[in-house]
Amino acid sequence: MAIIERPAPGSTVPALTPAPPAITPARTYGALRRPVATTGWKSWLFTVDHKKLGLMYGATALFFFIVGGLEAVLIRLQLAAPGGKVLNADLYNQMFTMHATTMVFLFVMPMAAGFANYFVPLQIGARDVAFPRINAFGFWCLLAGGIVVNLAWFLGGAADGGWFMYAPNSGPVFSPSHGVDFWTLGLQIAGIASLTGAINLIVTVLNMRAPGMTLMKMPIFTWMITVVQFLLLFAIPVITVALFLLTFQRSFGAQFFDVAAGADPLLWQHLFWIFGHPEVYVLILPSFGIISEVLPVFSRKPLFGYPFVVFSGAAIGFVGWGVWAHHMFASGLGPVSVAVFSLATMAIAVPTGVKIINWTLTMWGGKLVFTTAMKFAIGLVVLFTIGGLSGVTHSVAPSDTQQTDTYYIVAHFHYVLFGGAIFGIFSGFYYWWPKMFGKMLNERLGSWNFWLMVIGMNMTFGPMHILGLQGQPRRMYQWTEARAGEGFFNLAFWNLIASVGSLILTVGIGLFLINIVVTARSKVRAPLDPWNARSLEWMTSNPPKEHNFDSIPHVHHLDEFFHRKYEEDPTTHTMREVNGRGSAG
Amino acid sequence: MVKVRRISQRVLVATGAVAVLGSCATNAPQDTWQPKGPNAKMIDDLQQPVFAVAGIIGIIVSVVITYAMWRYRDRGQPIPEQTHGKPALEITLTVIPALILAVVGVFTFRVIFDLARTDDTELVINVTGQQWWWEYDYPVQNEWGITQPIISSGQLVMPAGTKVLLRETSRDVIHSYWIPALNGKRDAVPGRIHTLRLEADEPGIYAGQCTEFCGLSHANMRMEAVALSKEDFAKWIANQQAAYRAPAEGTLAKEGESVFLNQCVRCHQVDGLKRPDGTLAIAAPDENVWSGAAPNLTKLMTRNTFAGAMFDLLRDACRDDVWKAESAEFGAKYLAGVDEACLNVNDLRAWLRNAPEVKPMYANPALLADTNGKYRGMPNLGLSESDIDKLVAYLLTLK
Repeated sequence: MAIIERPAPGSTVPALTPAPPAITPARTYGALRRPVATTGWKSWLFTVDHKKLGLMYGATALFFFIVGGLEAVLIRLQLAAPGGKVLNADLYNQMFTMHATTMVFLFVMPMAAGFANYFVPLQIGARDVAFPRINAFGFWCLLAGGIVVNLAWFLGGAADGGWFMYAPNSGPVFSPSHGVDFWTLGLQIAGIASLTGAINLIVTVLNMRAPGMTLMKMPIFTWMITVVQFLLLFAIPVITVALFLLTFQRSFGAQFFDVAAGADPLLWQHLFWIFGHPEVYVLILPSFGIISEVLPVFSRKPLFGYPFVVFSGAAIGFVGWGVWAHHMFASGLGPVSVAVFSLATMAIAVPTGVKIINWTLTMWGGKLVFTTAMKFAIGLVVLFTIGGLSGVTHSVAPSDTQQTDTYYIVAHFHYVLFGGAIFGIFSGFYYWWPKMFGKMLNERLGSWNFWLMVIGMNMTFGPMHILGLQGQPRRMYQWTEARAGEGFFNLAFWNLIASVGSLILTVGIGLFLINIVVTARSKVRAPLDPWNARSLEWMTSNPPKEHNFDSIPHVHHLDEFFHRKYEEDPTTHTMREVNGRGSAG
Repeated sequence: MVKVRRISQRVLVATGAVAVLGSCATNAPQDTWQPKGPNAKMIDDLQQPVFAVAGIIGIIVSVVITYAMWRYRDRGQPIPEQTHGKPALEITLTVIPALILAVVGVFTFRVIFDLARTDDTELVINVTGQQWWWEYDYPVQNEWGITQPIISSGQLVMPAGTKVLLRETSRDVIHSYWIPALNGKRDAVPGRIHTLRLEADEPGIYAGQCTEFCGLSHANMRMEAVALSKEDFAKWIANQQAAYRAPAEGTLAKEGESVFLNQCVRCHQVDGLKRPDGTLAIAAPDENVWSGAAPNLTKLMTRNTFAGAMFDLLRDACRDDVWKAESAEFGAKYLAGVDEACLNVNDLRAWLRNAPEVKPMYANPALLADTNGKYRGMPNLGLSESDIDKLVAYLLTLK
């Protein structure tokens, strides 16, 4: 028997069993006093509720997304024409360093952490994460870290060594401002959030699933988040060590990367990328998880080859540790290392390709509903495919030595991270907004939001393929007409197009912010199951109560919620509603 | 909506096709798809099929997704059977890309090892990067007539049709040496020596750019590789080793020489330059510059660039004359060097007047405590306009 009742079809009013009266936790005393406030600012400041923390992660990430986005716009304004004068060299170097740092560590990672915090317990039918207090601790570490990194802007200049901060250029002589010190300290603090969050979510997923939910009945988003937490669990210690080395090098006269003392600067590169490559999957896999939820819902079909997607995700999680040196093909590692990492990189393209095939085949034969969430999900599949294919050209190491550190690689990782990670995040916004806030984002604005982002994204990053193959290196505060060339592929034209594209992109993202406001002011409540969804998080109120579920559902199927709503017609094998009213929606 | 989607798909496909066609156009001097020597050609032969296959796969995926969006859009059809996949299809579609990549892998393997060869080298040039210029040092190689080490900067001069091996290192941070028409890039890492094969088929100038972020003026750290015929290269070598010719007494250049001795020689070496007392002037960049080196200016006017190849020594018209010369005439034009009529006097004077203003460098005297009082880049020397006149006249004699 279904424990949570299905809503009456077409009804916009939650048809829940009457909620039991809210239970206020008993007061405790002392330093570890249990937070009891349920409203007002104290309910946020002292909360240990995974949903509130998820929203706070999300809000923080969104703030830093705007910061990082404005930094990107300044970069593009500077590069719109040769000899740009918007920023000077010093400020430009700070700008691209902080753009990447912000987007990677303070936007995509916390946003994924926000989604994970909010939805993993709901998707597995748990009441909270395993360690709610540690969860709160993690969030406040992230916020503190983000603030510390950015404080440098006001205290003598931000970090200026590029987000991978290669030694010895990041040393005290070559980067004399204190930006890098703030950077190492801030990221160290933010890393605590990732590490504690990883342990917390792994324990939660392994121990707190609803009765009947075996690992292979677990929603795919939760699966991908779990893989990510394992990656973080092993990757964060590496960057922690590296950051400590750099801190000691800069502040206490240590000589870990100092050639005169017999050290090798490549040590930093190895440490950074042993963290940095798994980090790439940390950024992208949550979005893979999101669209692996969204595509089945709006195709009205289960995820094609669920076990393949799960195991390819896990395979990426393993092989992802063996490809770090493909960031170093030009570093001079010698042919044996280069050959091995080149082949390993080609190998990791296979499980990634599997996902694209599965998403396409999920849509195949379905009943596709083009909501904004679905559009962003399909956008991810197409744009990520482009980024994945340019990634294959990088895996060919000799070819990479022509492309690395040019705009071609900038194009590649923006197709992967903007077209991939960010499109997935936007798909998640539109899909889960009614769950988080009880109101649906405006679909009309959403459509504009989507199309402007698609156009802006392709106009900004598409031309960068050309710029890179025409030999424009990245991280140059100015480019010169002398190297711009003539004809159709001249750098001047395509730089200008990219800059115009970045403005279109800005408008598109601005529309999303407007949509948030419009939605917040709207009085229309979202239906309980607005998308005809498939997983457990939709089996409770919008937004869920503090304890998530009045009673924990028992799970019998992957896509449990869907199977409570629909049954198979034995003759046509199509699905009809359980009460036999025919198959709508 | 679906229609708009399809149009955008087509635009994407068209963009891809345009990118593929890029190899056919004449374009920027650092075009990576225009190999001008066997090493770059090897890379290009390897990558073109990869780009083509990637493009085709991209088009197939886009077409399939577009078709699926149109074919399976919600037209009121019943909710389909909840199939969870077809393992056979899944495995087939996994194995096909794996096989394609295996084939690519075999060829990649070969090229990696071919490009790492050092046993067929005909000429060795040591290349040292520092903020923000490259030093070229030709060790003694008698078969090329190099009987004493030659130290140069600004332009790498090499014989065409010759297997040149660069031995790269750095004096401060990591830089990366990249002449796209001749080979991929290779980082110059302090404390390590990395090799890079270069070979140009034809005489000419090949542009490059430092491609590892190296601080403030990374964008201004450029390079040019000049390939000369073997005969012209021999002439170049002979001239580089020719004795210093002091300017005649009483000329403006002679006055410039004494300005040079007072100011510039602290960092910049001119081989054979003597002080008024007859002793050889030995530069001491190690005492004044953080990296310990400053460009050797012995034959400055045989080069076409200065300040880390950020500026041309030739006026635009003269520069175009050299860059665009037919390969048969190129050598003679290049070896003519820079004369007063062709000198890009504006940039050179601006540089002498206040170098940190035209090229961002950490040359702020207020920050010298971080570097034990040593400069990173050329400081503002506070030269008077008449000193600059004299220096320009003197520098023009260095050829």
